[in-house]
Amino acid sequence: MAVFQTYLSSQLRSIFLWALFSIGLWKLSEKLNWKHRWMAWVPGLRYMALGNSLDMAREGIVCGVVEILIDIFYLVTSNYTIQNENLSVALDLAVLILIVMLYVYRIRFFIRLIRVFGLKTRWILLWLIAEWIPVLILGFGKQYQPKDLPIQEEWVAGTSPAEIAGAEGVHSLTASETGLSVDLYERTAKDFLKKRYLLKDISLDIPNGSLVMLLGGSGSGKTTLVNAIIGYEKAKARMTLNGADIYRDYKRMKYRIGFVPQKNLIRGNDTVIRTVDDAALLRLPRGTKIRARRNRVHEVLDLLGLSAGAEGLVTKKSGGQLRRISIAMELVSDPELFVLDEPDSGLDGVIAREIFTKLREIADEGKIVIVITHTPDRVIDLFDKVIVLARDSGRVGRLAFYGSPQEAREFFGKDSMEGIVMSVNRKEEGGDGLADHFIASYAALAASEGGVTA
Amino acid sequence: MTKRIRHNGGLTQSRIYLGKFLRMFVFQNDWKVLPLGALIAALVTFVVGTNIFKTQEGTQMGVFALVCVSIWNGFFNSIQSVCREREIIKREHRSGLQMGAYIFAQMIYQLLLCVAQTAITLAVCSVAGVTIPAEGVVTSWGMLDTGITIFLITYTADMMALMVSSIVRNTTTAMTAMPFLLIFQLIFSGSFFHLSGFADKVKYLTISYWGMNSLCSIGRYNEQPMVALWNMLVKFENIDIEGYTPLKDLLVEMEKNGYRDDFLLWAGQQNGIPEYAAEAGNVIFNWIMLAALLIVFVIVSVVALEFIDRDKR
Repeated sequence: MAVFQTYLSSQLRSIFLWALFSIGLWKLSEKLNWKHRWMAWVPGLRYMALGNSLDMAREGIVCGVVEILIDIFYLVTSNYTIQNENLSVALDLAVLILIVMLYVYRIRFFIRLIRVFGLKTRWILLWLIAEWIPVLILGFGKQYQPKDLPIQEEWVAGTSPAEIAGAEGVHSLTASETGLSVDLYERTAKDFLKKRYLLKDISLDIPNGSLVMLLGGSGSGKTTLVNAIIGYEKAKARMTLNGADIYRDYKRMKYRIGFVPQKNLIRGNDTVIRTVDDAALLRLPRGTKIRARRNRVHEVLDLLGLSAGAEGLVTKKSGGQLRRISIAMELVSDPELFVLDEPDSGLDGVIAREIFTKLREIADEGKIVIVITHTPDRVIDLFDKVIVLARDSGRVGRLAFYGSPQEAREFFGKDSMEGIVMSVNRKEEGGDGLADHFIASYAALAASEGGVTA
Repeated sequence: MTKRIRHNGGLTQSRIYLGKFLRMFVFQNDWKVLPLGALIAALVTFVVGTNIFKTQEGTQMGVFALVCVSIWNGFFNSIQSVCREREIIKREHRSGLQMGAYIFAQMIYQLLLCVAQTAITLAVCSVAGVTIPAEGVVTSWGMLDTGITIFLITYTADMMALMVSSIVRNTTTAMTAMPFLLIFQLIFSGSFFHLSGFADKVKYLTISYWGMNSLCSIGRYNEQPMVALWNMLVKFENIDIEGYTPLKDLLVEMEKNGYRDDFLLWAGQQNGIPEYAAEAGNVIFNWIMLAALLIVFVIVSVVALEFIDRDKR
């Protein structure tokens, strides 16, 4: 009887605490704009909802799953005795790890919640004592209102692309035999079993010898598009380079494409010349004569102004020189398509201009050079074409424009490239929020100009 | 029909990377692992070196210390070598780098490091007065047998750390994992901690277990005197039974008649461990097991790196 009473009192205590926390969270959910406030009452789900409202969706899912697993464990062990001693110890250990994990995630949530409500960090102490107390206070206290509520977009971003009239009609019927032909239907990714659209309906032909700027706000899919074009992250698309299918023959085609990443991913403790020479050995065809390889290395070093300090260690070079070494590593194989992700990142205007001038020279050799940059206006005069990507209202990256810089200015009614980016950025980001409008307008324009199917 | 352009294959790539690693050995201060290894070996031999290969207790303790030094050296050689340049490898993988070739280059480079460290460890042991067995079990030269074992322990530990370095994504995680792995090796070596049940099976997965077996076999552990029993008897020699101290009388008698050494050897034989049998087949089996672990670690390293493109931006 005494055992039963102890069990009953402990169960009643658990239910009472759960109820207190749930009531507080239910009230709090109103302030946090939850869509489904009933989730406050369901263990596991409540953390998913809380995470979503605090722009911590991934953490919310982990925390929710962990809480459910712990509950299942307690349910099982309170009804069944595990006979196998090793299994029992292993399960205890697993639950211990899960509990620690749950508390760490909870602390993360509470720290974020404290920030959202503009409270002092010492509130966390209250949480550590009994989490239902601050939840009740924040839920029912009228003086506590969220000051900096995050935009609830992460959970739904990309799951349902905006319906934009004519946008699907931009796809080319035939790929161009020369230059780069991009015909991307969609690029999706699985994220916690949800299908997310990262890019949709992008079609364009870039002639050889073009220097192309890829513009777009943060999260518009610039790097994703570049990775899809070069075949590194494949999309539902057809990409051809001078008639050759990049996806179908990726193993061969990757040597015809050079990609310079945003960071200077170079081993610092090697000489410049050996770094570029090793890159040449890796990228040039087998059987290339030593003399030919060395000539090519010196040619590239000369072109990029790196010959003077070529015997020096990479680590001793300046930021601008490092960028040029990174470019040299790809350029040494003489690629037909050359893609650079923010080559001017962290560089001053003069050095950045110098790098872009070199890229112009490379394009003038008949290559296609695509560049992502966040400071477009200081170098736009060097470019032949501009690609503008924008996130539609469903947070999916789409083509908002492709054409010459002058045509872009006229199309968007802006006199600067930064102005163009601002016009397609969302209002929450300080932009004009006209992405859907320009995506639809460009689709209509592309259809009317022909070469694309409606 | 257009001629298919081929690019440099695995062997050429390995040569490129081996050259890179050797240059970085000079420029990136990787050479520091050699004097550091010497320093650790000196410290350990200074503390436990005098009785190694002389008595069973001294051998077990000294060999354990030598195994620890070797594992430590191996771990430190490569624990950061892949993860510190993971993003660079990812970039190069895009450009045609084969992971097998990269790991093979690492293997050759680390092999050179481990050979050098083995030589240094043996040299330090000799200088510190450690008596390495003159006669070998597999070969006729004890120094060679010992050297091969220390090399295999170091190299296998090196490849284990290389595997960890290939799996984790940054140096912080790698350095966090390292002490855990080291403790695992020490606990499950089967030397100082009694293992039973499942734990007794786990020891077969450790480098330390096979290393201990091999070195103790080469040191002829089973043929060495056991002093612990004698010392224990001496501790209890004053036990009084009805006015007599029979144990003390026995020990004095044995010493007076020169039976002490015979007794120690007899005790040693009774305390023999089958795994430490000084037989060529036994030592070779231990070497094969170390090599097998090494191969597993290498395979896992290559497989882990093949997934490098899945790293999130």
